[in-house]
Amino acid sequence: MRQLLAGMLGGAALLILPSVSLAAAVPGAKAPDFSEVDAAGKTHSLEDYAGQWLVLEWFNKDCPYVKKHYGSGNMQALQKKYTDQDINWLTVISSAQGKQGYLEPAQAMTVAEGHNLSATAPFLLDADGSMGRAYGAKTTPHMFIINPEGQVVYAGAIDDNDSANPAVIPKSSNYVAAALDASMAGEAIAVASSRAYGCSVKY
Amino acid sequence: MTVLLAAGLGSTVVSAQETASGDHVKVRWLAPETFGPGQETIGFYFEVDPGWHVYWRNAGDSGAAPRFDFVGASGEVGDIQWPFPVRLPIEHLTNLGYEGDVAYLFTVTPAASRMEIVVNLEWLVCKVDCIPGYGNMTLSRPVGERAQWPAQDRQLRDRFAARVPQPAAGQSFPWAVSNLSAAAQGDSLQLILQAGEGASEPPPPQVFPLDGGLLTAKAPQLERSGDIIRYTFERVPGAALTPSTGFVVSDGTRAWQLDDLAIQPASSSAPGSQPQSAGAGQPLWLLVLAAIAGGAILNLMPCVFPVLSIKLFGLMGPEAAAAGRLKEGLRYAAGVLVTFAALGGLLLILRAGGAAIGWGFQLQSAPVVLGLILLFWVMALSFSGLYEFGHRLMNLAGNSRGGAFVTGILAVFVAAPCTGPFMGAALGAATLLPAYGAMAIFLGLGFGLALPFVLLCAFPALLNRLPAPGPWMETLRQFLAFPLYATVIWLLWVLGRLVGESGWLIGALLMLAVVFAFWLGRHQFRGSRWIAWGLMLVALVVSFGAANRLQDAGVSPVAVESQTGWQPYDRNAIGQALAREQAVFIDYTAAWCITCQVNKKLVLESDEVEALFRQHDVYLVRADWTDQNPEITRALGELGRNSVPVYAWYAPGERTPVLLPQILKADMIEALFTDD
Repeated sequence: MRQLLAGMLGGAALLILPSVSLAAAVPGAKAPDFSEVDAAGKTHSLEDYAGQWLVLEWFNKDCPYVKKHYGSGNMQALQKKYTDQDINWLTVISSAQGKQGYLEPAQAMTVAEGHNLSATAPFLLDADGSMGRAYGAKTTPHMFIINPEGQVVYAGAIDDNDSANPAVIPKSSNYVAAALDASMAGEAIAVASSRAYGCSVKY
Repeated sequence: MTVLLAAGLGSTVVSAQETASGDHVKVRWLAPETFGPGQETIGFYFEVDPGWHVYWRNAGDSGAAPRFDFVGASGEVGDIQWPFPVRLPIEHLTNLGYEGDVAYLFTVTPAASRMEIVVNLEWLVCKVDCIPGYGNMTLSRPVGERAQWPAQDRQLRDRFAARVPQPAAGQSFPWAVSNLSAAAQGDSLQLILQAGEGASEPPPPQVFPLDGGLLTAKAPQLERSGDIIRYTFERVPGAALTPSTGFVVSDGTRAWQLDDLAIQPASSSAPGSQPQSAGAGQPLWLLVLAAIAGGAILNLMPCVFPVLSIKLFGLMGPEAAAAGRLKEGLRYAAGVLVTFAALGGLLLILRAGGAAIGWGFQLQSAPVVLGLILLFWVMALSFSGLYEFGHRLMNLAGNSRGGAFVTGILAVFVAAPCTGPFMGAALGAATLLPAYGAMAIFLGLGFGLALPFVLLCAFPALLNRLPAPGPWMETLRQFLAFPLYATVIWLLWVLGRLVGESGWLIGALLMLAVVFAFWLGRHQFRGSRWIAWGLMLVALVVSFGAANRLQDAGVSPVAVESQTGWQPYDRNAIGQALAREQAVFIDYTAAWCITCQVNKKLVLESDEVEALFRQHDVYLVRADWTDQNPEITRALGELGRNSVPVYAWYAPGERTPVLLPQILKADMIEALFTDD
């Protein structure tokens, strides 16, 4: 009888929990909506990318881990490789005004150029942190992959090595590339979630 | 786990330096001036500017643990030991690390006249913003009679050594883990600790997860009632649930490490929500087909065949009209199916109640085994032609309307120990499938068991092919008594395994009493029949009572023999073996499983195979399921099985097992080692 009661209570808890849990982009769930203006003044929203693959990347130019992947050209190469395959790639800055990594639109255009950004659009400027919070972006970089059905299929780190040293990149296994390659080949994604490493997003 | 690193350092030392530094961080050695000949714990002492922090092994929601890349050492160097951390809430995130100073420790054992170490360091120091630092450090100190430390450094070393977690297995761990559970679909994980006796209400300990990929670093929600402390951790959204995980528990001054705690499925699954379909991609019809095949194979098993033969004799008798045969066959089938449905229903009811049970569970109860001994003994005696009773039973089975039906029930009950190869997978799935699927599998088994018999009845032509009744039948019947005697002996052994040596005695005395009662009953002196019945009744009550009491008293069954290196089942010990990348072989077995015993004697305990296991340092586990053991039942369930034998092979470094066929051959074991 006690077990039955516990079972019923637990069941009730299961029904309630999801509604109170924090919104975040969770693999297997629908991607949170967003609508943000990029450095060039163009608005991007999730609907604009319906039916297409979309990669989201959180960015902070002063974060050592972002420097690791941009300084080595690793991130740009990844952006180029997949945007060439008609995959959309948006790089988001969620740093608040006055915090590390915050950029005014004009500065952002310069940084994008200086960084050889190969994303689909210049940086999305999420200074109020609304998009970052909706996705639960914790770190820079923090990567999300959204499939054409609008579902998150990957959330987490860019690769499996949380060293800040660019020298480890060739030896690291890139989760984003693996997830995209598997998806393109119609295979299951081996790692759909990982601990995002890097600097905290400066909301 | 230690590493022996190459000596010959001279060339690798670029610029000998004893310290390293970067923004907000200074690193220096905590090491003796002179090393002793034995093992010594030394460390990297990080002096960090106030307000800045460095990280623990699991850095938490962001950040990174420092890295120590030993380039060379003139001796043995152990793994880095991490003092327990504190939670550092940094804006919206939580990190696990150290504010201010910390020492990361490790052991070294000198193997030369000087202790030399060359190491590359990488660390991350953060306030809100983070700055990585790099450096390389060398250590070169003489090795003497005994270690000589600067007093202050030794104190520092000891201060941090006291904060390094020790294994929680020891006596010193003031709490016991009562449960670790997570719902497959939920977003939390619960750890329940129980304070030991005499714990005078100390504040609940801090618990830090080792796996930042599974759990967030946010402080767990804490509930306390009496001795029970419940920690509810938040899981990393979308992270797959691992089979086990680890924690560090700290009372603020000391710490203990809990490694490889198995995560139980949360017991609080919603009513009506079915367990996840673990047919693992196998469609239901395939499982039912396997069940039918498995059931049909059961007919050939020695446990079932004698029972069927009674029925077949009845059919072949001249009095059995051809038209009646089909009816008989269908009655038999009905008996089988009703019994399987009842067993299936029972299983579902028990499953719903959360009882950990499995197929063959009826043989885990001493009274049931004793009942089977009695049944087979009486049948064997009658087959031998010693008693009329048997003929009467046969006549009953052959002639009465209920006879075929009863035979069907009997057939199912005695078939359990002869679990055929097909039954394993089908039944394993049945315990995890939704109710209708589980029932379909049970009925499939019953259908398979009844099918050959029904076919014989439906096509009398087949029956006519069978030899005509004659004196040979008597011979055959007497011959069939021997498998029954063998079954009795085996069941006595099972009983012995269940309740200890008294099991033999109880069983044998009951058999003696039964034979004596029959003998008395046949002699027509005054009242002999009444005495016989009385004796029988007393023998039954006493023996069943004794068997039941012995099992309830928890008389430990005969311990698993360990002289051949087989260890009893212990989930944590297995987890440890897997963690140290040792190969593991688990033999899920039971005394009442004949296939298991055959495999054990012919393959697993053969000299060649034992030598192979020894040679490759395989951790051998004998998971004995003879008695009820919920741990093993659960382990089987995780493998998608609910019957024995199951042979699980974990190659070194692998955490997912390969399951070997149920009929083992020595070359299958050899193949495990030749692949690599």
